[in-house]
Amino acid sequence: MAGKIPDEHPEARTEQELAVLKKEQLALAEELTKDFPGSEDSLVVVGNVWNRYGDAAAALKFWEKALAINPNRADVYEIMGWLSIKKGRFEEAIAQYRKALAIQPRLPGAHSNLAHALMILGRLDEAMEALEKEIQISPSSSFAYFLLGQAYLQQKEYEKARENYEAAIKIEPGYENAYYGLATVCAQLGNSDMAKAYSEKFKKLRAEERKDLRGRKLQYDDFVETQKNAALTYIEAGRMYRDGGKLQKAEELLKRAAGLDPENVISLQELASLYQKQGQLSKALEMHKKISEIVPDNPICYANIGIFSVQLKQYDGAEQAFRKAIALAPKRSEGYRELARLYLEMGVKLHQARQLAEKAVELEQAAVNYFVLSLVCYKNGDTANAFSAIKRAVQLEPGNPEYLHLYKLIQLRN
Amino acid sequence: MIPTVGRVFRVSIGRVVVVVLVLLCIFACARASEAIVLTDVTKETGVTFIHTDGSSGQHYIVESVASGLALFDYDGDGDVDIYFLNGSPLKGTKSGKAPKNELYRNEGSWKFTNVTDQAGVGDTGFGLGVAAADYDNDGDQDIYVNNYGPNVLYRNNGDGTFTDVTAQAGVANGHKVGAAVLFFDMDKDGDLDLFVASYLDFTYENHLMRTSKGIPKYAGPMDFPPMANNLFRNNGDGTFTDVSIESGVGKHKGWGMGGVCADYDNDGDTDVYIVNDVYANFLFDNDGTGKFEELGLITGLAYDLHGDEQGSMGADCGDYDNDGWLDFYQTSYADELATLYRNLGSKLFEDVTMTTGAGTRTFPYVTWGCGLVDFDNDGDRDIFVACGHLEDNVELYDTTATSNAQNILLMNTGDGKYVDVTDQSGNGMQVKLRSRGAAFDDLDNDGDVDVVILNARQPPTILRNDTPHENHWLQVRLRGVKTNRDGVGARVKVVAGDLMQIDEVHSGRGYQSHYGTRLYFGLGKRNHVDRIEVRWIGGGTDVYQDIAVDRLVILTEGSSKTSRR
Repeated sequence: MAGKIPDEHPEARTEQELAVLKKEQLALAEELTKDFPGSEDSLVVVGNVWNRYGDAAAALKFWEKALAINPNRADVYEIMGWLSIKKGRFEEAIAQYRKALAIQPRLPGAHSNLAHALMILGRLDEAMEALEKEIQISPSSSFAYFLLGQAYLQQKEYEKARENYEAAIKIEPGYENAYYGLATVCAQLGNSDMAKAYSEKFKKLRAEERKDLRGRKLQYDDFVETQKNAALTYIEAGRMYRDGGKLQKAEELLKRAAGLDPENVISLQELASLYQKQGQLSKALEMHKKISEIVPDNPICYANIGIFSVQLKQYDGAEQAFRKAIALAPKRSEGYRELARLYLEMGVKLHQARQLAEKAVELEQAAVNYFVLSLVCYKNGDTANAFSAIKRAVQLEPGNPEYLHLYKLIQLRN
Repeated sequence: MIPTVGRVFRVSIGRVVVVVLVLLCIFACARASEAIVLTDVTKETGVTFIHTDGSSGQHYIVESVASGLALFDYDGDGDVDIYFLNGSPLKGTKSGKAPKNELYRNEGSWKFTNVTDQAGVGDTGFGLGVAAADYDNDGDQDIYVNNYGPNVLYRNNGDGTFTDVTAQAGVANGHKVGAAVLFFDMDKDGDLDLFVASYLDFTYENHLMRTSKGIPKYAGPMDFPPMANNLFRNNGDGTFTDVSIESGVGKHKGWGMGGVCADYDNDGDTDVYIVNDVYANFLFDNDGTGKFEELGLITGLAYDLHGDEQGSMGADCGDYDNDGWLDFYQTSYADELATLYRNLGSKLFEDVTMTTGAGTRTFPYVTWGCGLVDFDNDGDRDIFVACGHLEDNVELYDTTATSNAQNILLMNTGDGKYVDVTDQSGNGMQVKLRSRGAAFDDLDNDGDVDVVILNARQPPTILRNDTPHENHWLQVRLRGVKTNRDGVGARVKVVAGDLMQIDEVHSGRGYQSHYGTRLYFGLGKRNHVDRIEVRWIGGGTDVYQDIAVDRLVILTEGSSKTSRR
């Protein structure tokens, strides 16, 4: 091959290595179809492999076979819609998204994608209808609000456009395109000062994003990207074997996925879940620790580390993990709740445990938070507040046997 | 009445050049069809040009963006000739005879003769962008070629030959990767200044090649540093001065591609629109003296509706909705819509691509040359888009894309909307190649606009407009006297009954190409033009009344009875 490989990646691989990787995936796909005969899942995975290698025609062939077995696969229609958009076949895309939504009316993102295709065809009213539905399903979708702003902008309903851009920014404060929308709206309304201010904000955000993009582009390595895509195949296959009860095979595939893309937390989460299922808590804990190394700012993974540490009686580690979760996300309730639960289990710092449980409830009025508060109050001898808390937990989640048990217990003692 | 009746110009018929009276008068022959018909006549034209991009598998980025072409009347015989740019062997490419740019003289009746050598315009540099203009106001059009490498200015000697005057004019512009070339009178002093766009800072040393799924492909623009564009002021004595910095143009770096000059704000001076590849487009607003402020973002031209920069390629302008303001159309990369920006006046544009249908069919293709052209002479501007992937092997890693692609024709329905008529518009629209530059002029002087397309690594495509002649038309050629000779930048307004159209003469437009020195006005069923108004750039205004249609008129500055200085 002529031409210089980017200097930043002297380790970049050859075409032969890429070919081997592709061959491995296709072999795995074939194995799946043999091990799961008649399963639409395996056909979907094979289709996904071809799609990742840019062979849309082959991908479609397998997806269509999958749909012939199970026509209720909304996810397949959704990915077919994406492919139709890429080909510029917007009518087909619209039909495919509509099929997906007929099967799964609350499929997250599908209404937005449908709206996008409709908007390209200038069908703004239909697009807006789809976006309103998306917002009901995914109220935190900044993209849906942004697109709705775009639709109103094109209809020259500038105030409504502005409201939607502002909603998008409220959800995602760095949403640069929404700032561009605001600048456009202000310019159309003749408010040039505001238009300039929003343009400046947009410009600043875009400059930052381009700086990052340039870095990413220079670091782009085709082999690494191909490995990342291959990892997805192994995750999909691993899930199939796990669900089919072949846990050893599942573990092997998920480990391969993690090896191919060490930054992919999904493979590690799947492995943790697999180990948990098998009662291998130390291994599950190890996975969560690895995840925390990849996403050190994610409070959830510290909460998980804490939970597994508790189960392994590693209380110091657990306390440290919960405190880290609280420090990273002081407005989330999990860290407070789980730390309270830890103190309960250890039988220490019960007063502090109550404060923590109260804080959790204050932040999020979830059944589980009321449950822990109830436990702490009960342990502290405050049966009145314990009862009041568990009553609320049962109201919020009436079918939970654990809550009902505690409710009855406290009721008896009261 | 128009005072130019009786003026002469030459029309060549076959090899015999005869002198005839002014105009060309082709009366419309009525046929019962509203379709646009573009017929592929390439083979019968005698054009043997085959484009080369200097490639040999190295995937140098410059290969992927070559080349533009020019349509202009180099010998002043009244018909439009063709100048094709060519690439040249890049490092590592074995080559025998050096490929060169080729000039074809229009002999009439769709026959063209290669006159490159006798004209002396066979530059062997790596040609990217081109424009023709009478920079020395001597009555003939000269050529500027924007190369990867030193550029070339050919002065037209007026006898069918050219002289390379690059060095004495001082416009070689170093060794850059060229893009658009635009001539315009930035300071309204009566001579044409020169805007030379640059793509990016590529050298053999910083060359890199990417792969996708293991398949080699071209690096992207952002793999290379951006470049500032250059602006040269015409000193009026055959030389130019680089005024890039003092004009304000040089402080903006981008990845320049196509461009077009236009008085977008109707303030009587010419502004410059340069589209950038994966970067905000530049609108250089002229203060009337040749000082520019970049207003792309605030006017709404820098980004598309969503606030995304496009992989912009070519740019054209025209008043698509006949509201008296010039709108812009630009082409782009795959997975993007080619974009129509409607001029709202008050220095503001809106992206109306989706609501008008002006981007129909363009989404999956890499789009290049473009024109807002009234192919059916019905009084509104249709859209032609040249397509073809940048990669010659894209199918190997993405079967949703194709290297060769059909070009696109969108018909203006007259109510501000476009419909895709590609598949109903003759065999010329069925050709699938990797098109780049596209240019539009009336090659057979029959009153409708024909098309010439440069295809990467292939022969060009030449399309004869065979649309049934149901509509009336008027063509306008300007002759500046005190202002620049070809009226570049002059604003022409044509009023026929309820129809009011505007246009300007551009030198350099589309995808790094040149066309349309003659202005074309479709009139529909209107058989009479009430009024033509010409506002000369840096000059006065001429008004002509009661003009017969279906002909070419030559309007000379100051020749109207109501000439206002």
